[in-house]
Amino acid sequence: MKTNEINAGLKAAQINNALGFFILAFGVIILFAMFYTDTFIEHMTDMVAGLLLISIGGGMMWKAKRTIKKLKAEKAS
Amino acid sequence: MLSGIDYFIVIAYIVGMLLLGLYFKKFVNSSEDYFLGGKSLPFWAIGMSIVVSDIGALDFVGVSGQAYRYGISVGNFDWVGSVPAMLLAAFIFIPYFWRGGMYTIPEYLGRRYNQKVRTIASVTWILFFALDLGVLFWASAVLLNVLMGWPIWISIISTAGVVGLYTYFGGITAVIMTDVVQFFIMFIGGFALVFLSLYEVGGWDNMVDKIATMGPEYRNHFDIIQPQDTKSPFPWTGILFGLTFVMANAYMIGNQSIVQRCLTAKNEWHAKASMIFGSALKMFIPILVLFPGLMAVVVHPGLADGDQALPLMIKSILPPGLVGLMFAAFFAGLMSSVDSLLNSTATLFTKDIYEPFIKKGADDKHYLKVGQITTLVLLIIGVATSPISSDFPGIYVAIQTFMSYFQGPIFSILLLGIFWKRTTEWGGLSALVIGIGFAIYLNVFKEQFFTIEDPFLYISWWSFLLGVIINVSVSLLTKKHTAEQLQGLVFSSKILVKNKKL
Repeated sequence: MKTNEINAGLKAAQINNALGFFILAFGVIILFAMFYTDTFIEHMTDMVAGLLLISIGGGMMWKAKRTIKKLKAEKAS
Repeated sequence: MLSGIDYFIVIAYIVGMLLLGLYFKKFVNSSEDYFLGGKSLPFWAIGMSIVVSDIGALDFVGVSGQAYRYGISVGNFDWVGSVPAMLLAAFIFIPYFWRGGMYTIPEYLGRRYNQKVRTIASVTWILFFALDLGVLFWASAVLLNVLMGWPIWISIISTAGVVGLYTYFGGITAVIMTDVVQFFIMFIGGFALVFLSLYEVGGWDNMVDKIATMGPEYRNHFDIIQPQDTKSPFPWTGILFGLTFVMANAYMIGNQSIVQRCLTAKNEWHAKASMIFGSALKMFIPILVLFPGLMAVVVHPGLADGDQALPLMIKSILPPGLVGLMFAAFFAGLMSSVDSLLNSTATLFTKDIYEPFIKKGADDKHYLKVGQITTLVLLIIGVATSPISSDFPGIYVAIQTFMSYFQGPIFSILLLGIFWKRTTEWGGLSALVIGIGFAIYLNVFKEQFFTIEDPFLYISWWSFLLGVIINVSVSLLTKKHTAEQLQGLVFSSKILVKNKKL
């Protein structure tokens, strides 16, 4: 892979990592907010919304970290 | 006012957006990075960004309010009023802009017609964006004032500070990537609201039955197509001719803030895919913004102001946590509209005005600096002019009406410019000037020509039609362009299948 392509890939992965962290942090806050709800349905809605954000953010971070590791290894070789 | 946890969520969101936006500073080293994200962004991020910047907080509240008053016909704006136009943009127009290495739509018009057409189109957009900026700042300030109890000037300055800082440093990469976060928050909060609202009204069928028994004014609430003599602003003729044929295409193909996003794509495939992906996401927007307005008819009947429907539904239906999330999404919508305007106006000014007229041939760092300074100046203008909105409550409507003045004529010259080789520079120029003049005339004397209160859809259609007629007539009477002049600027069926630089 050319250096330019590796750099572009690294840039994209770094961006995704930052986005993923932000979304994950927001998911944790929403999950925590479920302790402030009164009814079962409100409890579940906060939980589902929080877990969705956590899985989207966590997924983005996991994928980004894998890509960064792979591209850095390619760049070094 | 919000509860403690919701207050915390809105504050965390604003601070987080600022930090996230500033993080993108490290990716800006040239004017191409600043205006086109270094042409390196993926389709999914651009598609999400197109959807989020298109549906600002004002639209969120406004569309729900219109669904409350007129029913589901307002959904046409996101279905037939967006999806066909986005597909047309993806397959026909975006490839020309992308292959031509363009930064702005007026740049295409300049190459296809002449410099005068480019300048008029660019100045018109700059004027529109700059006016809109003050209104959006004011709307953000009012939202923060109501939710958090902050004084109005503190609210304006904090909004301008956050959005301005990340747009100034991060350019369009920061604009698009913060939109991605805003997209997830808006969709998850929106679907939670729809789910809980449906639960509250006892399901869809129950809601339809209840609304049907509420009186004759709700008789057409579930008709997506309204008769021509309807009292709502959405008769089928206006939707078909004004919205589907003209305004939707003009917005998706001729709007700098939308097209510029596609030009940040890493290659032509991603540029096209971003529009197609955006169109798929756009189909969900009516569910998020229209359904809560409809359900509010049952939960909060008899509201004097339909625009209260959505804020009331959020406050009465959503649990703690998600109320903060939805208000953060509101604020996100406003921030997204403001950052788009800032970056697009800076691009238009730098590329269409500064570079050709003020300083030609300077080095790239110079144009990057000009783009950043323009962003800063616009920010100051936006903050300074925002109180005007409080003195003139109808200014938002006035600005949207102003948009209908030039959407039709600009789209007419774009369309003929691509599809008709014979159109000439004088044809384009006269169509643009006369078309805009005709739209202003129709708006001033609208009572004499139209029976509905707000005929912006009809004005777009007739000014578009006149633009086409003028362009064709004048072009046939003036000297045509040579084949070399038209190279890469007019339609060829090869554009659909071949991915080559023009």
